[in-house]
Parts: sequence; structure tokens; C-alpha cells
Amino acid sequence: MPLLEIRGLKKRFGGVVALDGVDVDIDDGDILGIIGPNGSGKTTLFNVVAGVHKPTAGRVVWRGRDITGLATHQIARAGIARTFQQAMAFTGLSVGENVRIAFEHGAGDHQSGGSRWKSYEEILDFLELSEVAPELAGTLPFGHLRRLGIAIALAIKPHLLLLDEPAAGLNDGETTELAGIIQRLPGEGIGVCVVDHDMNLIAALCKRLAVLDFGTKIADGPADAVLRDPKVLEVYLGDAA
Amino acid sequence: MSTRNQMAGHDVTSAEGRSSSEANRSGGPERWLVVVAMFVALAALPWLTTETRLISLAITTGINVIALYGLAILFGQAGILSVGHAALMGIGAYAAAILARDFGLGFWAALPICAFLSAATAGLLGFPALRVSGHHFVILTFAFGQLLTIVLTNGGEFTGRATGLDIGPIETTFGLDFNSLAGMYLLTLAFVAISMAAAHFIDISAYGRTLRSIRENPQLAASVGIDVRFHKIGVFMVSGLFAGVSGVVLAYYFRHISPSLFGAFPSVYLAMMVMLGGSRLLFGPLGGAIIVSFLPEILDLDPVEARIAYGAILVGVILILPGGVIAGIGIILRKLVAMARRIRGLRFASIESERNAEGG
Repeated sequence: MPLLEIRGLKKRFGGVVALDGVDVDIDDGDILGIIGPNGSGKTTLFNVVAGVHKPTAGRVVWRGRDITGLATHQIARAGIARTFQQAMAFTGLSVGENVRIAFEHGAGDHQSGGSRWKSYEEILDFLELSEVAPELAGTLPFGHLRRLGIAIALAIKPHLLLLDEPAAGLNDGETTELAGIIQRLPGEGIGVCVVDHDMNLIAALCKRLAVLDFGTKIADGPADAVLRDPKVLEVYLGDAA
Repeated sequence: MSTRNQMAGHDVTSAEGRSSSEANRSGGPERWLVVVAMFVALAALPWLTTETRLISLAITTGINVIALYGLAILFGQAGILSVGHAALMGIGAYAAAILARDFGLGFWAALPICAFLSAATAGLLGFPALRVSGHHFVILTFAFGQLLTIVLTNGGEFTGRATGLDIGPIETTFGLDFNSLAGMYLLTLAFVAISMAAAHFIDISAYGRTLRSIRENPQLAASVGIDVRFHKIGVFMVSGLFAGVSGVVLAYYFRHISPSLFGAFPSVYLAMMVMLGGSRLLFGPLGGAIIVSFLPEILDLDPVEARIAYGAILVGVILILPGGVIAGIGIILRKLVAMARRIRGLRFASIESERNAEGG
């Protein structure tokens, strides 16, 4: 049984169809990449799964349980964490407090190989943020802020982490470092789903890719096969040509 | 010598950075001693002065402080400003008077019931906060205060119309008589201490962190599993508890209450006290209340002059010291300490260099 099953997911905003019947499975211990041009519905997909938007139609099934249309905090407590495109933090609070707050809420779920982190300090350590723990989050440089976003998400003890453009705004060195951290997550019992434009990051991380275009899935499978798929090439290179 | 100076300067900045975040959340033992000493000193007031005017002003200030700690949790921690808080005190005060009149309930029996009623009303007041925020919500709380005044004025015999209601004295409890000025003062001071302690423990608890996360970023708070709607209503109710207790003490101190005590101006004063003093600091509400209550007394201002002075001070504080006067005093003290340290550092450095010169 997959960790997360997305079935026939539709989302309309007024006259705009952002998602038009998307099916995706995310498996335990997998790093799935979702790619697609701007406006193809990637972030909308995350927002619907995370409970920010209610879907127009379709179902989201989490470990066998229908979670379609639950509120954001309920989805988080069920064990699905997400990060945001605009590196978000509680900017007026210390870095330590940021992670501690998330640790005190969220899934609180230690069953079935849950997280090995027994305290929020260990998560700060994992993301190499211990040294800046007393600093205000708002004063962090951007690269640290990205890592803090992931630390906050991991602190809720999730079984699945949705990463929305985690490499946006990072330089090559920071992106490589980030990829190293993300690669270790399946080993910690956390499934990962990454949305990004950065093909270097996607290629480094994902064995499996799904491609969205105008709210429909046009390809899904092993990364190298998907990247050679003529439909995918047309979407990506057709625009550029 | 120059490197020494730089090091001293670096120490100072890092100390400031820390104190602005986590360090000031947990007080050391010295800090508790300061608080205890302050309350002992305050408790001695009735024996230090025979001026009843001063003591009665201290009592009304203290009654406001009880409500202010609730308002400070709402505004300082959760980031929601209410300018209708006097109305919540009014709920507590009127409930106490009506419970005494119709059911013969005394002060101690009425206290929890009135606090609960005030909290429940506050919960209703919190509901619009789920849909509107910022300035729009502030206006809504203001309208709520006005609405309550109208209801109380037009409530017929039940609320005593514009004249209001009378209430008896506090019953003698365990041989303690609270109806002397000194007794009332000590009772109020005890409630101030409890409010301050409650606000402090909320501040350092997981609940306080939850509220601050909602203040900082509600979207992110929801994404880590915090039920933002539940906590927005909840913090209003917590804040309402303080206002309710404050209202009951007020009713039993004045022995007569009327709608004008709980209208727009008292509400605005409460908001002003908490902003002046600083809503995120332990001593902020207390300091703000003392400044606002005693300033006209000290400067000998008539009510109109006092309002002008308040307005000018509030604008000044918001522009110059957004953390409040108490936070401002803290910053000045820290700068002075830093300066003293630097001067001492300089002196040591010059002594050392003299020694070096002698040795060489």
C-alpha cells in the first residue's frame, strides 16, 4: 500500500482549472520529484494535499485513511509536513523556539519507525543549526532560513515531507548541501516529495518523477525514462525553442 | 588595546542579541528575589503613608493591572489587540452585582462564576477574529465595548439603567476584613501578584510558544499542527478570565457600578497602558498602569490635559520605543552597563599597557 494515494484530484479557482484529475502515489521510503512548467499545478497539488485548499473533486488517501478536505493542522497531525516556496519561519522568535514549537505539536507519532529525533535539539543538530539556535529567525541568512524551514517541518515527526521548491534562491554549494540532507530522510523513515524547477537538484535526488502540465499528469515513472519521454521534452524544450 | 576594545564591543552585542530572544524568557533566582522584594515593598504601602487618596489610586491601578496581564497575553503573545477590554471587566462586575442581588452570592462564590461568564463573552468577541484581523478587528472590539454600554444603560431594572447597581461589602473571610482601605489594597495586590505569575507561566510554557507562533505566522503555525482558530478563541477566553476577576474586584471596591465605567475611554486606557508599558515584558503591564494612573497626579493635570498628555506620550512611545517604556528603560540600562564595562575595559587595558611599558 502506498503511503499517499492521490486519486482524480481536481481543483478549480473560478474559471481556471489548476488541477484536472491528477493521480499520484507516493511510496514509503521514496523520493518522488514532481516537475512541470510554471502554472502547471505543482504548488496547487501540495496545497490541496496539505489542506490549504479544498479540492473540487477527487480523493487523498493517507495510509489507508481518507483525509480529503481536512484542515491544515489536522493533516500536519496526521503526519504530513510541508515547506513553503517563500522560506517561512516565525521570524520574531529564536531559531530554537521555531523548531521547539513544531516539535511540541504535529504528529507526535513515534510508531512504525517514526523519527529517531527525541528532542528538538537533535533536529537542530541534524540541520546544523545548533550554533544559531539563540538568534532571531528573522536575522538568518537565506540559506539558513531554508534549512530552518526543513527543520520546522521535520520537527512535527512526519512520515511524509512535501518540499516546495527547496532550492529556490540557493547557490550551487547550498543546493548540493541541501540535496545531501534530503537524501538521508528516507533512511529516517520519511517519504519525500519534491517540487522544483532546479533539474540538478531533481536529478540528484529522485529515482522517480511525475510531470505535470496544465493540471494533468503527462508522465510518471523512473527518472531517466521520464526525462527522455517525447511529451516531456516537448513541454520543456518546446517552449524554449 | 584596539583588539581589546573590539572584543568588549563584540561581547556587548552578542549579549544583547541573546537577551532579545530566549534568555529573557526564563528568570534566574536573582530575578525572583527582585519580584518578591518589590511585592513586599508594595505591601508595606498602607503603613508608609496616611494619604488615603494615594492608596485608593493604587487600588484602582492594581485592579486595572489584573485585567492588563490578560490583555498583555492577548496582545503581546498572540498579537491580537482589543480596545473593548473594559467591557469584559463590565461583564464580571455586573455579574457579581446581579449574583449578589438575586442569589445572595458573596465575593468568593461569585468570583469563579463571573470570571467564567467574562471568559465566555470574550470567546464570543473572539469569533470575528477568525474572519477579520488587524485594524478591522480593533474597530470591532471597540464597537463591542460601546454595544455593552448601550445594553447596560437600556437593561431596565435588571442592570439599573444609567444609574447602575449597588453591591454590598466583601464578607469577612477567615477573620480577614477586606473593607478597610488597607485590606482592599492587600487583596488587590494579591490578585495582581497572581495575575503576574499566571502571565509569566503562560509566557514560558508551551502554550505561550503556541500563541507566539500564531502571532508570528498563522499559516506556518497551522502547517505544524496548531489549530489556529481554536487558539484565537481560546486566548480571548483566557484574557477574559483576567478581565472578569478584575471586574469583580472593581465592583466590590467601588460598591457601586455604572455603564460609564466600562465604556470606550476605559477600554482605550487599558490598551494604552499595555502599549506604554510593553505587552511582552513581565513588568510591562504593571509599569504602564502606574505611569498612566499616576502621571496626572504627579504633574497635577486636569482630565482634559491628562488626555492630551496621554495621546502625546502614546504617539511618542510607538514611534521611539515600540516595545514600550519598560523595554526602553531596559535598553537604556543595558547600554549603561555596556558603557561601564567598556570604560573598565579601557582602564584595565591602559594599566596593562603602562605595565608593559614599565617592564619594557
